[in-house]
Amino acid sequence: MAKLSLDRSRLPFSSYLVVSTKSNLRRSSMATPSSFCLPISMSSPRRPTPNPSSRSTFAAVVSSQLSKEATKGVEFQGRVGFLGLGIMGTPMALNLIKAGCDITVWNRTKSKCDHLVNLGAKYESSPAEVASSCNVTFAVLADPESAIDVACGTNGAAKGMGPGKGYVDVSTVDGATSKMINKHIKDAGALFIEAPVSGSKKPAEDGRLIFLAAGDASLYETVAPLLDVMGKSRFYLGEVGNGAAMKLVVNMIMGSMMASFSEGLLLSEKVGLDPNVLVEVVSQGAISAPMYSVKGPSMVNASYPTAFPLKHQQKDLRLALGLAESVSQPIPIAAAANELYKAAKFHGLGDQDFSAVIEALRGKLQRPEH
Amino acid sequence: MEVGFLGLGIMGKAMALNLLRNGFRVTVWNRTLSKCKELVEQGAYVGETPASVINKCKYTIAMLSDPSAALSVVFDKDGVLEQICSGKGYIDMSTVDADTSSKISEAITEKGGYFLEAPVSGSKKPAEDGQLVILAAGEKALYEEMIPAFNVLGKKSFFLGQVGNGAKMKLVVNMIMGCMMSALSEGLSLADRSGLNEQTLLDVLDLGGIANPMFKLKGPAMIQSNYPPAFPLKHQQKDMRLALALGDENAVSMPVAAAANEAFKKARSMGLGDLDFSAVHEV
Repeated sequence: MAKLSLDRSRLPFSSYLVVSTKSNLRRSSMATPSSFCLPISMSSPRRPTPNPSSRSTFAAVVSSQLSKEATKGVEFQGRVGFLGLGIMGTPMALNLIKAGCDITVWNRTKSKCDHLVNLGAKYESSPAEVASSCNVTFAVLADPESAIDVACGTNGAAKGMGPGKGYVDVSTVDGATSKMINKHIKDAGALFIEAPVSGSKKPAEDGRLIFLAAGDASLYETVAPLLDVMGKSRFYLGEVGNGAAMKLVVNMIMGSMMASFSEGLLLSEKVGLDPNVLVEVVSQGAISAPMYSVKGPSMVNASYPTAFPLKHQQKDLRLALGLAESVSQPIPIAAAANELYKAAKFHGLGDQDFSAVIEALRGKLQRPEH
Repeated sequence: MEVGFLGLGIMGKAMALNLLRNGFRVTVWNRTLSKCKELVEQGAYVGETPASVINKCKYTIAMLSDPSAALSVVFDKDGVLEQICSGKGYIDMSTVDADTSSKISEAITEKGGYFLEAPVSGSKKPAEDGQLVILAAGEKALYEEMIPAFNVLGKKSFFLGQVGNGAKMKLVVNMIMGCMMSALSEGLSLADRSGLNEQTLLDVLDLGGIANPMFKLKGPAMIQSNYPPAFPLKHQQKDMRLALALGDENAVSMPVAAAANEAFKKARSMGLGDLDFSAVHEV
């Protein structure tokens, strides 16, 4: 994490430009005496970067960032609803609270709201009540069924929607589900975007998610500052369905990669190699991916702490297969991978991390350690 | 340090040039002698046969394209075996199956020579840049003596134990790589058919936990149906086939690799074998 010390006499213009595109600056609301992190939004293909063409402009931009720091504010006036406080929803809502947002939460299991309520969040007892008391409502549910129920069910969010309000569904679902939710929200007179994310538990905690949004462009612009609190980058992909599709394609590739990596680890073990060495060799070459380096060592120890539940990875593959079928696209590798996740689910590994798929390849299923 | 170098294909040529540039005396041989010309211009000597290279040099590296070429260079007339003897080292950096490597190892050591298998991970560009990952196994003493050469050729070397371990490690790595390439291809195709922008998919992939140099490097060219050969598809399919055989021998379940192998086989049958392995995208 880079820190810039604010000695303006020495700070060149170029460092501001560099910082606003590709760096690892984190959002931080903590100012320390000698240095601090500029709360600069991360790269997005569609977000214009202010161009400091004069010293006074630069100073003005910096000082406006400074005053934002001072008030811990974010460029969003209004009340934000948050439906769904699972693995992803909780840290995301937490980041919004830390950024000074006015949050109202709901979760099917009420006790999951307690921590956030203790930090100042309001609570309402149904999605409809949350939606009606807020300007914009986010939903982070586990699957299409929950997403539809929360949006369109009895006491669903759509019942509380109206002109001037917005609904942002972050759940990973199929296009048809997203379009159905879109219709219900629009019928109530409100705006809608789907905005599934790439990134699991840790990126959610660190505010480094990647949003794949589609739908009402104006709502997207309105909530952009909130997305920037929770994420490191965002994409606007056009009409509803495109965000869902992009997310499914990404997770399809990820599921296949994890299955293949599992095959490699198991094969190396069976032929007398040290799987830890395989992990190291992979990390040195062209196929080195963060996922392998992070998950590899624990997989070698048959340990699968849940960052992304296996049952959700299998759900995503199932939806990706559905998407492929709808456009007649053969995806044999994904189909083979899907079978492995299904087998792992069958053996009760659905709530483990998706890396537990390696267990599906073993002849005799071992009980995974926690 | 002086080394012999057998095989001046995509990899061998780049590696031999690297050694020359870094002050090694290199004696080369290639089945098609004309390929030696560029290296002679850079200061290499030429051996007329593998045997004559072995005769001249204490250490000889081989970089052939497949098991049959690797065996041929050792066992045929005027091959390595005719001149290998005590005090000489043979380092086979070709990617072959463990059986082929063992066969070569036995023959070499029977004649008193030292043997090291040392297949590499990395293709043309890493070879040119001296950024290969070297997966050595066999005679430890020979490995130690080759470290100066390995430091020029690669960014990291591993010593993996007995002969066969290097070959196996390489096959496992390339199996994962082949599956990843097929998965990327499926993703790009599905994105395109679903009305998404393929470059945007690559951009999203590059930001997250599955970002990797191969996707970043090959992805854009694949979108353009452009497949300049850094690693020929026929060799990738060979590696998938050998990895599956290894799995078969050990009763290891590998359904994803099997599915990917089918894609590479199909690509070969479509005549795409000499293109880069990313040409599996055309299937």
